[in-house]
Amino acid sequence: MLIPHPLLGLRDAQEFTYLGDASLLNRPDGMAPDAAQAFYQYQYLRDNPAGVHRELWFHEQGDRSWLIVTRDTTTHEILAAELAKEAAR
Amino acid sequence: MTDLSPLCASGQTAPRVATHGALTITEHASRALASLALRRNAAEPHPFGLSLPGPGLWSAGQGMAAFWTGPHQWMIEAEGRAQDDFAHDLKTHAPGCSVTEQTDGWVCYEITSGRGAAPIHDLLAKLVNIDAADFGPGRATRTGLEHMSVFVIRRAQDRLAILGMRSSAGSLWHAVETAAERVEGVLK
Amino acid sequence: MTQSSANRPSANRLAGGLVDRSKTLSFSFDGKGYTGHPGDTLASALLANGVRLMGRSFKYHRPRGVFAAGSEEPNALVELHDGARRDPNTRATVAELFDGLTARSQNHTGPLAFDLMAVNDLLSPFFAAGFYYKTFMWPKAFWEKLYEPMIRAAAGLGRLSMQPDPDSYDKGFLHCDLLVIGGGAAGLAAALTAGRAGARVILADEDFRLGGRLLAESHTLDDAPATDWVAVTEAELATLPNVRILRRATVWGAFDHGVYGALERVGDHMAAPTGLRQTLWRITAKRIVLAAGATERHIPFRNNDRPGIMLAGALRAYANRWAVCPAQRVAVFTNNDDGHRTALDLMAKGVQIAGVIDSRKGVAPQGDYPLFAGAMVTDSRGRLGLNRIAVTQDGRETWLDCGALGVSGGWNPNVHLSSHHRGRPVWSDALQTFVPAPAGGPPGLTVAGAATGAGSTAQALASGAAVAVAALADLGVRATAPDLPGAEDHAQHLAPLWHVPGAGRAWVDFQNDVTVKDIKLAHQENMRPVEHLKRWTTLGMATDQGKTANVTALAVMAELTGKAVAETGTTMFRPPYTGVPIAALGGGDTGAHFRPRRLTPSHEWAAAQGAVFVEVGQWMRAQYFPRPGETEWRQTVDREVLATRKGVGICDVTTLGKVDVQGADAGEFLNRVYANAMASLPVGMVRYGLMLREDGFAWDDGTCARLADDHYVVTTTTAQAGPIYRHMEFCRQCLWPDLDVQLISTTDAWAQLSVAGPNARRLLERVVDGFDLSNAGLQFMGCADLTICGGLRARLFRISFSGELAYEIAVPARYGNALMARLIELGADLGATPYGTEALGVLRIEKGHAAGNELNGQTTAQMLGMGRMVSTKKDSIGAVLSRREGMQAETRVLVGLQPVDAADPVVAGSHLFTTGAEQTTWTDQGWITSACYSPHVGSSIGLGFLADGANRIGEVITAANPLQGQQIAMRVVSPHFVDPEGGRVRD
Repeated sequence: MLIPHPLLGLRDAQEFTYLGDASLLNRPDGMAPDAAQAFYQYQYLRDNPAGVHRELWFHEQGDRSWLIVTRDTTTHEILAAELAKEAAR
Repeated sequence: MTDLSPLCASGQTAPRVATHGALTITEHASRALASLALRRNAAEPHPFGLSLPGPGLWSAGQGMAAFWTGPHQWMIEAEGRAQDDFAHDLKTHAPGCSVTEQTDGWVCYEITSGRGAAPIHDLLAKLVNIDAADFGPGRATRTGLEHMSVFVIRRAQDRLAILGMRSSAGSLWHAVETAAERVEGVLK
Repeated sequence: MTQSSANRPSANRLAGGLVDRSKTLSFSFDGKGYTGHPGDTLASALLANGVRLMGRSFKYHRPRGVFAAGSEEPNALVELHDGARRDPNTRATVAELFDGLTARSQNHTGPLAFDLMAVNDLLSPFFAAGFYYKTFMWPKAFWEKLYEPMIRAAAGLGRLSMQPDPDSYDKGFLHCDLLVIGGGAAGLAAALTAGRAGARVILADEDFRLGGRLLAESHTLDDAPATDWVAVTEAELATLPNVRILRRATVWGAFDHGVYGALERVGDHMAAPTGLRQTLWRITAKRIVLAAGATERHIPFRNNDRPGIMLAGALRAYANRWAVCPAQRVAVFTNNDDGHRTALDLMAKGVQIAGVIDSRKGVAPQGDYPLFAGAMVTDSRGRLGLNRIAVTQDGRETWLDCGALGVSGGWNPNVHLSSHHRGRPVWSDALQTFVPAPAGGPPGLTVAGAATGAGSTAQALASGAAVAVAALADLGVRATAPDLPGAEDHAQHLAPLWHVPGAGRAWVDFQNDVTVKDIKLAHQENMRPVEHLKRWTTLGMATDQGKTANVTALAVMAELTGKAVAETGTTMFRPPYTGVPIAALGGGDTGAHFRPRRLTPSHEWAAAQGAVFVEVGQWMRAQYFPRPGETEWRQTVDREVLATRKGVGICDVTTLGKVDVQGADAGEFLNRVYANAMASLPVGMVRYGLMLREDGFAWDDGTCARLADDHYVVTTTTAQAGPIYRHMEFCRQCLWPDLDVQLISTTDAWAQLSVAGPNARRLLERVVDGFDLSNAGLQFMGCADLTICGGLRARLFRISFSGELAYEIAVPARYGNALMARLIELGADLGATPYGTEALGVLRIEKGHAAGNELNGQTTAQMLGMGRMVSTKKDSIGAVLSRREGMQAETRVLVGLQPVDAADPVVAGSHLFTTGAEQTTWTDQGWITSACYSPHVGSSIGLGFLADGANRIGEVITAANPLQGQQIAMRVVSPHFVDPEGGRVRD
C-alpha cells in the first residue's frame, strides 16, 4: 500500500506502524467521576467496520508523525490522510 | 582534550572506505550532529545563518547543513566538530528550541559517483523504496533500508549520504557495499 | 565451451527459426548428452533431439512430454542443475539453454521409460476425485503408521537438494509512470507509444526475447518478418532513457495502489551465476498496461496425454521460433481456424500433415492437407510417445499414423493480474472465454491485446497503442499512437467443443491428473461450486495453477449442471502468476546478515577479551567473559557476580532505550506517561519510573533523570525501546498535542557503562576530572553532567540495578570502547571485572529487581509490589483501568524463593502450590518467573508471583515442574536476597 502523507506525499506502507481505530484520540479524563466507565468504553468498545475506517498509522521509518488515515478496509482505497496532531487539537 | 581514543562506528580507528566501480563509500566520522526542535510558539531560528529546510529537504550552508526530520524538527550537521559539544553551541544559536546531541547516534556513509547520477540512482533502487527521479539534490528523508531506519540525503547529483543507527553500522555497511558491488557489476 | 564443429544433424530440426546455428551448446538430460543452439529452450532442444518423453505425471505416473511452449506448461517439469543448485519443478519450456546445462526428469522410480510407480495408473480407480478425503479415513490407527509415510514418499514431483542454496538473490525498487506487462505486439506498441511521449516506462516480459507471439507466428508486419518490426522497436526503446526493459522478468502479482511484484531471472540462464541468480523487484507504477497475451486451451479426448500431443499453437511456435517439430508426420485437432494455421505453417517448413481434424461441419481446407470436417479425435496409441490417433467422422473410426498432434480449442486471455484484487473476469459468449471485467480490477490497470480476447495481431498492436495513450492522458501526458505496421486481422470462427464425449480417461488437467471423469464424479458427489471442484479434484493446483485446464474444467462442469459457463463461475486468481522462489522473496541476505545486528560501543574490546556474545533482539551483548581455566559458564558467571559484590564490576548497558524529553511541559508530560510522579523530581535527580498500558497492566520500567527544569532523559528496557518511543510520540501528538514537549531517541548516541560494587566510587574517582563523588557531591539517585579523562563530556547517574554502590556513566558512543578498557585497566587493584548479561541477571535477581520475566505484559503494579506507586492524584496512562475491581483483588505478589535443600534446582516456569495440596489449575498459587544460581546465597534462588505472598514469608511451598517430574520444597523469602535494607546503594 501507499499512504498519502500530508507533508511527504505517497509513502510505502512498510515505513509505517499500524495502531488501529482513530477513536483512541478521544481519551477520557482520568480524574472525572465517571472515569471507570469511560475508560472501559475507550479501551474495549471499538468499531471494526468493513468499509470506511479512520485509523492511526505511525510513520516510524519516516518523519515520526502519527497520521489519521481514512481507508476503506474492503478495498484498501485511501480516502484521506491527515496529521493526528492537527486533528487532535 | 581527552586522552581516550575514539573508535569509528565501524569499530575501527580509521573510517571505512571502499570503491566499487564508479561508486566510493566513505565512513564520515568527523561531522557533528544535533537535533533541533521548535518549542511552542518559538520562531524558526537561523542558527549559524542556516535557513531551515521544509519537509523532505536538505540545505547546506558554510560548513553546516540542515535537513528536515519531522514537523518542526531538523538535524543540523557541522563539519569537523564531532569531538566538540556542538549541541551546546547550537543551543546558544537557537534560543527557544530543544537541542539534543546526536553525533554518535549515527553512522554516516558518504557515497560518491565518478560517473554522474546513474550509479547513484541504481544504488538507490537496490536499497530503498524511494523514486530516485523525485529525489534530486537537496532532498532528504528517513526511510527503511534492510529493516534499518536510515536518513538518506541527496547532497548532489553524484553524492548521496546514508545515515543509520551507529550500533548497526556493520549491517548497514554490508547492505550498502553489497548493493554498490552489484550495481557496478563487480559481483555480477 | 561452445563447440561450433560437432553439429549433430537432427531430423526434427527444421529450417529458419530464431536459434543461432553458428554456435552449438552441449547439455545433458537424464545423464545423456545432447546439443542445441543459443535461443533454444530445454524443451525445444530436447524436441530437436527427438526426445518427446520428459517426465511422469503426478498421480498416475503416466509418460508425459512437452505440452506448451511457454510458462503455462503443465507436463515438462524437470530438475535443473546439479548438487546444491538442483532446482526442481522447472518448466523445460522456459529454461533457456546454456552450455553445460544438466537436467533430469522427475517423479519416477527407476528409469523414466520404466517407472515402477506407473502401477498407479492401473490402480487409477482408487485415485479418483476426492481420493485424499475418502481413502485415508480409516482405520484411524493407519494414518500415522501407514498412510502418512506412504503419501509423503509419493508426494511432490522434483527433489530438493537439501543443501544450502549457494546462489545470491537481490531485491530492489523501481518506479514508473507506465508499467507494461508483456512484450508482445500489444506491449511493444504500448511501450513505444508511452516511451515516445517521454513517460517513464518499464516494459517487463517473462521471456528472454521480446516479441511474444510475434516470434511464434509466420505472419508478416508490413510484408516483412514480424521480427524485423520487433528489432526496430526494441532498438528505438533502447535509445530512450525513460524506458527500462526488464527481460526474463515475470510480473507475478498486483498489489495495492499500483505496487507490482516482478521476478527478474538474472542468472538462471548461466551455468553457474557468478553474481546474482534472481532479483525481486517491487515496482510502483502510476498506470499499468496488462498485455499478457493469451493461453491456448485444448480439447480433452480419450488418452490425450501422450508425449507428442500438444497445443496446436505450441507446435507452431516450436516450428517457427525454434525450428523444431517433434515428429515428421503431424496431425491437428481443432474447433477453430487457428488450428489450420498450424497445419499451414508446418507444411511450409516441410512437415507432413497427416490430417486436420476439425469438429466444425462444413469447413473447407485452407491448404493442401487432408481435412476431416465435422470429426473428432477419439483415442490415441503409443506407450511412451504418440504413434497414431483415432479419428471419428460420421460415426466411423479410422486410425491415422502421426508422431505429434496439435490440439486447438481456442484461446483464453491471460486475465490473471487483472483479477488479483478479487476482480472476477466475465464470460464472453462471442469469444467463448473469460475476459477481464470492465471494472473492479486493480486501479490504474488496463488490459490490451490478446489478454482482452482481441487476438489478432492488428487488434493487439492497435489496442496496445490506444491503451497507452489513454493511460498517459490520465496522467496529463499527451501521447499519440505511432504508425503501426499492417498486420493480419483474422477471426477464429470458433465453435465451442469442451471435450470429446466417450468412454475412457480424457485429461483436463495434466499436472494433477484430473480427467473429465473426475469432474463428473465431483458433480455426482455434489462438489459443484468451482471452489469445491478444485479442492475435490485438485484441479488447477500446483506449479501451473491450471493455466491450460481451468476454463475447460468449468465448461465441462457447466455442461454437467446444465448451466451456462458464466453461471458456473471462475476460480479466484491470486499471486503469484508463476512460482517465485522463497529465496527471492526472502530478499537475499542469509546467515549473519539475515537481519540487522546492533553492536554495543564496547563490542571490539569485549571481543578481544574473548567474550561470549548472546543475541538480545537485534543486539549482540557480551553474555560472559570466560577466563583461562574456567571450564563451564557458571564458573565464569559466579566469578563475575562475586567480583562485583566484593570489588567492582563493569557492564555495557548501552542497549537500554534512551529518550531525550525536553520542553516547558516535559514534567507534566512524563507525569501523564508514567504511573508515578515525575514533575516533582528535582533537577539533578533520578527516579525509577513504571509505565502502564492503558488497560492497567504493567508495561515497562526505567529511570527518569532530570537534567534541567525543561530537560529529562528517560530510559526504557532494551526490548521495549521501540514500542515505548512510539507510544510516547502517540501521547505527545495524539493525546496531548498542546503540551510543549519534544522527544528524540538518543540510545545510540551515548555509551553507557554500569560501574557497580563497593569499589565503584574509588574507581570512578580515577577517571573524573575533579568531580566530587562523595554522597555530598552526588547522592544516591543523583545525576550530573561532568567531564572525565581530561575533558570528555559525560553524564553520571548514581543508580543501581545490582543493589551495590553503583553508577552508570555515559560518554559519546565513540569513546565507549576506550572507557571500558580504561576502567578495567585503572581498576586492576580494585578487582575491576567486566561482567556480561548472565551476571547482570544474577545480580538483579539477588536484589529482587523486576525485569522482562516479571514485566511480561500479564502482571500489574500491585503484583510487582509497586501498587502504591500508581498515583491517584493525577491522571496517567493506565491508572484508571489499573483500579478495576478484578485487578485490585489480585493477591499474587513478587516473592523470593529459596530451595529448602540447597542442592535442589529452581526452574523458572514452575508452578507454586501449597505443600501437600492437590495440584490442579484451581489450586495453583502462582509461578516462578526468574531463577539463577546465586553465589551470594550459595544455592539456586528464584523470584515468583505467589498468592497472598506478602503474608507467607517463611512458609514452605511446593514448586511443581511436571515436565521434568520435579517437586521442589521452597521457602518463601523476601525478594531482596542482598542487602534488603538498601544500605549499600547509599554508602
